Amino acid sequence: MRRLLGRLLIALALVTLAGCASEPVQPWERGTLAKNEMQWAPDPLEAVLRDHIHFSKEASTGGGGAAGGGCGCN
Amino acid sequence: MAGRDPHPSLLALTSSALLLPAYQQANADAPPEFTTLGMSYSRYQEDDTQAGRTLGGDSIERYEIDVAQFYLLTPVSDDWSVALDVQWEDMSGASPWFVGLDADGGSKVFMSGASIEDTRTTVSVNTRYYFDRGNAGFTYTRSDEDDYESDAVAFDGAYNSADGLTTWSAAVSASFDDIEPTQGVTPTNTLEDSKDVFGGYLGVSRIISKRAILRFGLSYTYRNGFLTDPYKLQDSRPSTRKEWAVSSGYRHFFTGPNAALHVDYRYFDDDWGIASHTVDLAWWQNLGRKTQLVPFLRYYTQDEADFFSNTPDFSERYFADDFRLSAFGGITTGLRVRHTVGNWTLNATGERYTTSEDFGIYSGDESPALVKYWRYSIGFNYSFR
Repeated sequence: MRRLLGRLLIALALVTLAGCASEPVQPWERGTLAKNEMQWAPDPLEAVLRDHIHFSKEASTGGGGAAGGGCGCN
Repeated sequence: MAGRDPHPSLLALTSSALLLPAYQQANADAPPEFTTLGMSYSRYQEDDTQAGRTLGGDSIERYEIDVAQFYLLTPVSDDWSVALDVQWEDMSGASPWFVGLDADGGSKVFMSGASIEDTRTTVSVNTRYYFDRGNAGFTYTRSDEDDYESDAVAFDGAYNSADGLTTWSAAVSASFDDIEPTQGVTPTNTLEDSKDVFGGYLGVSRIISKRAILRFGLSYTYRNGFLTDPYKLQDSRPSTRKEWAVSSGYRHFFTGPNAALHVDYRYFDDDWGIASHTVDLAWWQNLGRKTQLVPFLRYYTQDEADFFSNTPDFSERYFADDFRLSAFGGITTGLRVRHTVGNWTLNATGERYTTSEDFGIYSGDESPALVKYWRYSIGFNYSFR
């Protein structure tokens, strides 16, 4: 059931992304997207610390980039 | 080392979960124009273990950790950059050792007796090459503790579509870790061991309007080696673990309130029987041109590992009573403030993390050792414009 749910979520995400009705945004129209608050991680040190703590106190990790372990936290 | 008795939770907070350096943005496609440095200090404080949840009935202090972070990102030519990340941690406190039953048959946690003291230093160096439609980077990370050493490398790259609306990204990483548990009052599950971790990531992001961007990612992690917690009394785990994570993110800027909405979701699944959902929400409210107020909310819920139990069956091959492998839910609420003065950006954050088996969507034994904490951070960034 869980695996089915996982695959369903993957399929949903792919369909969502593929089906996005994107506007033809020209390069000179991307000023808002370039704002700091529109970045995936506007405060990098904050993001790293939060991921670090959650990874240490929970059983899940990954999904956000080149996660790779490098720890002894079982 | 006499008087030192690191426990798994200590190791836990000394991990390097992310190999990507802090400064790398998911949609970076151009070298930095100028040098930037940042520093931050954080205080992490876990709530005391409640008296009613411990064997012996005492309220016991858990971890408190001081964290200092530093990063520097600088261009070295028109198409190269170099970056440095350093993180120091100094921690002390008690950690759950095992879970047992009291006279009434209730599950209670037994904490490590002596206060644990340890430090961790992590240094990460990255170099990145930028080309017309993307970039490629290499990162080396070294982490040192009294009882743990890790060397990790990562390669990553991003490539933009011709119209610049879509960015594909990929990364691979490998980590080679050695553990040598400190011998103290309590016995350890090994004297010396190692493990390797290999990871891969594929992602795509797309600009979907002048004010919105969406991303999707898939990661796989394979762990091989000594995955048992060396310090817990009742702990025996498989020597491999395969993990999948699906993630997505959305950013939308609202012109009216002059604010950005952040929505992130992750689904995680592994072959230990653990699955989890994570939802992150944040509202980046601009107050004038210099100040931002950022309330944020996070919800997390996980299923328990197949071999988790508060009353482990030692006739089984694998068993563990580690709260981190139990079924529970966690809620984080927090507030961040940023203020810019010239080339300086000052920031301060406070957050509260609470957990309960009742918060989760999965059922299972509630661990008496679930953690709750406060975290405060202050820091600054400076740009050499």
